[in-house]
Amino acid sequence: MAAEAAQNVEALNAQAQRLIATFTRAGYEQVAPSVIQPAGLFLDVVGEELRARTYVFTDPEGEELCLRPDLTVPTCRLHLARHPGGRVEARYCYNGPAFRYQAGSTDSAHPREFRQAGIESFAAADREQDDAAVLALIAEALRETGLERFQLSLGDLGLFDALLDALPMPRRWRRRLHHHFWRPEAFHAELVRLTSRAALQPQGVPRDLIDRLDPEKPEEALVLVAEHMDRAGLELIGTRTLEEIAARVLAEAADAREPPLEPQTAALIESYVAVRAPARDTARRIEELLGPHGIDLGGALDAYRRRLDLLEGLGVSTWDATFSAEFGRNLEYYTGFVFEISVPRLGPRSPVAGGGRYDSLVSDVGAPSPVPAVGSSIHTERLLAALNGDAPGGVPGGAP
Amino acid sequence: MSDKLVLALPSKGRLMEQCAEMLAKAGLVVVRSGSARGYKAEIKGLSGVEVNFVSSAEIAQHIKNGTAHLGITGEDLLRETIADCDERVAFLRGCGFGHADVVVAVPDCWIDVRHMADLEEMAASFRRLHGRRVLVATKYMNLTRRFFSGRGVTGYRIVESFGATEGAPAAGLAELIVDITTTGSTLRANGLRILDDGLILRSEANLVSSKVAQWTPGLRAIERDVVARLAA
Repeated sequence: MAAEAAQNVEALNAQAQRLIATFTRAGYEQVAPSVIQPAGLFLDVVGEELRARTYVFTDPEGEELCLRPDLTVPTCRLHLARHPGGRVEARYCYNGPAFRYQAGSTDSAHPREFRQAGIESFAAADREQDDAAVLALIAEALRETGLERFQLSLGDLGLFDALLDALPMPRRWRRRLHHHFWRPEAFHAELVRLTSRAALQPQGVPRDLIDRLDPEKPEEALVLVAEHMDRAGLELIGTRTLEEIAARVLAEAADAREPPLEPQTAALIESYVAVRAPARDTARRIEELLGPHGIDLGGALDAYRRRLDLLEGLGVSTWDATFSAEFGRNLEYYTGFVFEISVPRLGPRSPVAGGGRYDSLVSDVGAPSPVPAVGSSIHTERLLAALNGDAPGGVPGGAP
Repeated sequence: MSDKLVLALPSKGRLMEQCAEMLAKAGLVVVRSGSARGYKAEIKGLSGVEVNFVSSAEIAQHIKNGTAHLGITGEDLLRETIADCDERVAFLRGCGFGHADVVVAVPDCWIDVRHMADLEEMAASFRRLHGRRVLVATKYMNLTRRFFSGRGVTGYRIVESFGATEGAPAAGLAELIVDITTTGSTLRANGLRILDDGLILRSEANLVSSKVAQWTPGLRAIERDVVARLAA
């Protein structure tokens, strides 16, 4: 039922009231961020993938605006407007429309206009506690509307980052692998590249320039790169400065001198990314995988276990939950714990709810420093379909 | 729409002349009906065909919507305009003219950026330093998105550009561009260089058929006839 069909407005309203009542009872303040958002800032944050699905328009004064494709970013902006700096503990809930272009055609599981009901929690000090509290409240809200049984899928980007930190490699390689995590093909290609001495050699920068650069001496590099550009008749045009270009050339020089990543290390990373296990079995499986290589994820794995225990304590059963190391949301702003809730009727590709930790998003929209944040939203049309036993129209597929 | 086969042809410029020449060589002489400046024509000796002269971009729209059965236009425009191009369009024949490459071009001074993979890494550091994403100026928004996404490049934003795109980097309107080029000389003159793996599409004018137009056996026969004459 696309929102424009409006057949189930009353049912959706009644359902939304129950969801919001559950959220506000738990101390979440109801807010109503603007439907129309500044396109520039919003799209800088969500990236081009979601931009392709965001309705963007220009107002009579030429300002570029968009219809919000989700409510998380607008809620971050609202939080920052109230608390410049953002580092004030706050919890918000909302229910309202979001808009996404659906390539090809829309169907009931993938309408272009849908309502999200959700919660966002900012600046809580105890991350695992807050992760667990957010998921537990979403689960409670779903139960309040009548959804008793659902499948819980979990992921944890903190584990992946801890693994990269524990493996010997230059910081910039960690950064690259971290960056590519959301894109399996690019990630794999980068791993292959890092294990090959030939592939680590500079592709475009002349060898003689690379050989003269000393990664320890960035000042000198600036002069050498400037000289090279003069000789080659290259004029500096555009926004990027000589310093930026020199810094990356210097990183290439450093890569060229670096011993390639050990093939076992790359294999270990691939094995980790392939881990899929019952959530309760995951920590043991990861220890078995990494232990023989003398790698200990330490605090990150403790945090994972603690979060599961906290969830149990809050009444969320984790015994049937599944963990996937590459469990990816296609929004790349998540930074830690991630989860999705699905029901068999709609399938895992049309989750009823999803969420996670996004510790860098608030600074991306303007806070001077990162602010811990975790949130989740319910796709309310899907929830209603799951409760009504409606068969989803069309073939479920793609992201929400 | 009449019960005739609608053939959409470019309404102006070199492309219009080349289409007319190609058709004439195949014995398909386009004759304007009514005034010489009209936008309708017929093909001499082929009574079932109605020729519509429209702009190249509109030809893609007509093929997409099925308001033309056949059309001649650039593959770049077809693939840009029609998201599910292969479902809606049958490519019948490359015409051998209207050649243009759609490419990713960056300032030549970016000696650290040779490949699409460099672009992604550069985009990440650009965002850290400038607090915004790298901007790509182009009129090919869809081709750009698909190509970049296929190569794992995501840290950018598109700014739409409708002309003089190659000047955008020097003017500070965008950091790099996606545009068409034939010889690369305009790019070079603007201090730009094509990435080593930055060829998105090697385009030329194509005779295409709309899969969503109203086809009858009679119209299909005319289509086969046109294709056969061009192939002869």
